[in-house]
Amino acid sequence: MPPEARLLSLGTHLPGAPLSNEDLAERLETSGDALFAATGIRTRHHASAGEGPSDLARHAAQRALAGAGASVEDLSLIVFATATPDVTFPGAACFLQEKLGAGTIGAIDIRAQTVGFLAGLELALAFSDAPGPISQSGAARILVAAGEVFSSGLDESPSGVDMTPRLADGAAVSVVGRGEGGARVAALRWHTDGALAERFWCEFPASRRYPLRVLEQDLVEGRHYPRADLPSLAPIAQTRLVEVAREVLDEAGWSVDSLEAGIVDYVEPAVARAAAGEIGLSAARTDVPTEHFGHVMAAGLPLRLSEWKTRLAPGARILLAGAGPGLSWGAAALELE
Amino acid sequence: MSLCSHILGVGKAVPDHVVTNDDLSKVMDTNDEWVHQRTGIRERRHIEADCGATDLGKLAAEEALADADLGVADIDAIVFATLSPDIDWPASASLLSEKLGAGTIPAFDVKNQCSGFLYSLASADALIRTGRARNVLVVGGEIHSTGLDLTTRGREVAVIFGDGAGAVVVGPSPSPERGLLSCHLHAEGKYAEKLWLEKVSSRSRPRISVESLGGDDPSAFPRMSGRYVFKHAVTRFPEVIREALDENGYGPSDIDVLIPHQANLRINQFVAESLEIEASKVVNNIDRFGNTTAASIPIALHEARQDGRVTEGKLVCMAAFGAGFTWASALFRW
Repeated sequence: MPPEARLLSLGTHLPGAPLSNEDLAERLETSGDALFAATGIRTRHHASAGEGPSDLARHAAQRALAGAGASVEDLSLIVFATATPDVTFPGAACFLQEKLGAGTIGAIDIRAQTVGFLAGLELALAFSDAPGPISQSGAARILVAAGEVFSSGLDESPSGVDMTPRLADGAAVSVVGRGEGGARVAALRWHTDGALAERFWCEFPASRRYPLRVLEQDLVEGRHYPRADLPSLAPIAQTRLVEVAREVLDEAGWSVDSLEAGIVDYVEPAVARAAAGEIGLSAARTDVPTEHFGHVMAAGLPLRLSEWKTRLAPGARILLAGAGPGLSWGAAALELE
Repeated sequence: MSLCSHILGVGKAVPDHVVTNDDLSKVMDTNDEWVHQRTGIRERRHIEADCGATDLGKLAAEEALADADLGVADIDAIVFATLSPDIDWPASASLLSEKLGAGTIPAFDVKNQCSGFLYSLASADALIRTGRARNVLVVGGEIHSTGLDLTTRGREVAVIFGDGAGAVVVGPSPSPERGLLSCHLHAEGKYAEKLWLEKVSSRSRPRISVESLGGDDPSAFPRMSGRYVFKHAVTRFPEVIREALDENGYGPSDIDVLIPHQANLRINQFVAESLEIEASKVVNNIDRFGNTTAASIPIALHEARQDGRVTEGKLVCMAAFGAGFTWASALFRW
């Protein structure tokens, strides 16, 4: 039995200098302190004009390839998870493939919001382990990219005060394949409940709307901006995070106490912290991506995982758990090797 | 012998409203002869009221489940291929899952344009063969009509696309001699801007504006360099079909049924000729549905099964080429 594929390396990229609450406060007609009190977020990063997720992911991909001792020629597939693609079509994976000079390997774009990285990782593990052209070509390394550029689509007027400070930009890329080192994925599970899709969403453009996907009136009403009913989602998200964390810990056969760290991602840091507490993680072992750089949806979990990977020794166990729009939630149990 | 996946059921759903080339000639400067000669298209379907790709997808999925003699509770994951999602986010797969009553199974979208169905099929196959899922619902669905420039200015692209959905249930093959033999996935992002819809774009600031709506901004509608696409398609299609045949020790003459993506009848005729595959073995229905992008192959498969062309034991090849550029193939012993 050949060794199972694993997460071999990670690279990250956060664009530009951190943007403080004070930097946003004037446009939103509030204060930095009030924004922190409302969101639990101190800083975030915003991409520059002309930068899309594939631009951010390119930097992260180069770091990830270097970390795995791999070159672009070793790649057999690119998976890109994003809710904010560079253009409407084709997907961000095609743009990243060109930016990396990755020949004519496959490039697949997926949408799974906050669990986008976990969904992409699962797909990459499956493609790596299933015998076939992708797992058998060359070194068969698969790039899993997660990147978002929310900042170009946020309401910068005072009516954006609730969502605009929360969503942010960034990218993280991992190399997945069979090999030594990296992190073994002991368990990975994720779920969706579409009944909650319209409680945290960006409605327009909407192909389902006849006769046109987006009208001036939609923009006047701000329905092309992210919107959420966070108070009603908070208890559901907390419950789902706890459930799925227990599901993967059970599957891995691990106790909570055996974890060195738990990275718990949700748009509201307080909800993520409450879930971590309920899972049984101490505050010191809990890492909440949103506290560091806002909610970067698909990229939040791997952005922080990269940090913990450098801090911990082989054998360390890390839990990843995230919940976000969809409602989609998921978790993974990782062991550093 | 390791586990092999297979398509266990197929479904199709298109809007009732037929839009002929003559209908289009009433809103733009075009005519039936011009459109048919260049594309092979006579008519396509458009929605007439609010209707998402997942509304059609739900109907196609239910038919596919019934065809597979499975219930929604037997499905472990949903993959929804679309470039025209119902809403901006979250994934339309979430909405489809809710419409099907699929509980809390994983559901994600794949945005791979004309190759979206085959990329999704390959994803389902990998999940099944590694034991991560038993049965996966793969649905391709598009509502193009709400995003087209249906005036003379947009005619080159607008006449091509139609609305529709197709679905398959992918699961363990009932027999080791039958099933999906291999999938082959490719892309070349160098040509992303030869067939694309730029706006809305997260790299533009603001991402969307009143100025970019429908009026004078051509980047708000799909754009295509037709000659480029044609030239690459007639090269990549035969190449990726041969790749699938070589992988499994077959030649073009072994193919019983070729189900190509329906982008342009002239491309498909060219591909068949260059591989010396008889026209009768090639499934084409673009005359009636236009290009339904991620839905085209499952819709064509549905018809080819109903009319008895795809039956047990046949060597069936599916292939696609389109925006990205992306291209792909899948070979089945049915």
